[in-house]
Amino acid sequence: MKYAICIVLLLVTALTVSVAAQQSKPKPPGAADWAALAKLPDLTGVWEAPTVGRGGRGPAAAPPAEPQLTPAYAAKKRELDARNFDDTEAANCLPTGMPAIMGHPYPYEFLFTPGKVTIVTEAYMQVRHIYTDGRPLPADPDPTFNGTSIGRWDGDTLVVETIGFSPLTTMARNTPHSDKMRIVERFRLAGPDTMSVETTVIDPEALAKPWTTTRTLARHRDWTIREYICEENNRNFLDAQGKAGVKLTAPVK
Amino acid sequence: MSPIARAAGRALLVIAMIGGVVAVAWSHHAAAPVFDMNAEKTVMGVVKQVDWTNPHIWIWLEVQNASGQAETWGFEGMSPNFLARRGWTRTSLLPGMRITVTFRPLRDGKSGGMFMTGKLEDGKVLTSAGAE
Repeated sequence: MKYAICIVLLLVTALTVSVAAQQSKPKPPGAADWAALAKLPDLTGVWEAPTVGRGGRGPAAAPPAEPQLTPAYAAKKRELDARNFDDTEAANCLPTGMPAIMGHPYPYEFLFTPGKVTIVTEAYMQVRHIYTDGRPLPADPDPTFNGTSIGRWDGDTLVVETIGFSPLTTMARNTPHSDKMRIVERFRLAGPDTMSVETTVIDPEALAKPWTTTRTLARHRDWTIREYICEENNRNFLDAQGKAGVKLTAPVK
Repeated sequence: MSPIARAAGRALLVIAMIGGVVAVAWSHHAAAPVFDMNAEKTVMGVVKQVDWTNPHIWIWLEVQNASGQAETWGFEGMSPNFLARRGWTRTSLLPGMRITVTFRPLRDGKSGGMFMTGKLEDGKVLTSAGAE
């Protein structure tokens, strides 16, 4: 009898595990899922922020609003400012992470596939994976440079929510974030080849109030994304004491 | 267009170019700590080598110093990604070409700086904002 109960228990366990495995496995996209993409506002293609003097199509962006910090984080910023570093680790080719990854003067390619929006970022050759399949944000994701993102459509606006940022990244120059930082981006077509991007940084520990900035991107249908290997020939550096310089060695060829 | 209007247009373009340079330089490194952004110098030389590389192109010139000796000067330009979308190609500058370069000098006093414009013998002008 005991033996029989054991067998039944084992079978039930096996069945439960197998059902759970099937539930967690996303189903492959079908023709309807691909067709549904055509009905979405078309944010696909290669985009870049227009800048004065660079052949851009729009006016120069106004200087972005500064984040208003809580007293504790304002003190942290003062401490970092006082070190008087010439530059950031980006001079050593370390990518900036979110939100600065979205502020580069280099193009972004937006790709739509069923359940996902992918943003290919030319600068430092990075990729943002934004899941739009209805999954929730994980409760406690591993901290990463670009965070963990989900997206949903609010009418004609793609709303992207991102959490889980590496402590190696900052929200702005010399401005650390807490592990509670959350970033909400709203991507919307403002014209046939113009996209408005509104970015709100929410951080109850670091920010006295949410910090919102907007940026306009112009679409370049004739552009393709190029390779960008920062280490290819990086002669810039920032040393441990915060001094920036240029390695001006003779040509290597 | 009157000469004054043309000159004003050119001045605006130059201001616009400088704005663009500052914006782009920020994406990888801050320009002001390494280059004197308030100074502009000019040097003439022969192209020795062009590194058409990220994150910046580097243009190496052979320049005759005051005592007639050849020196190597290095100039940091924008990225090939940026320039290729604005009229430059990797053969815009080739070894052997004579060029007059205006640049923001290196703060450490070494022979080089941030490339601003380059005037070729045939009158073609290459700028950090694009090729004319």
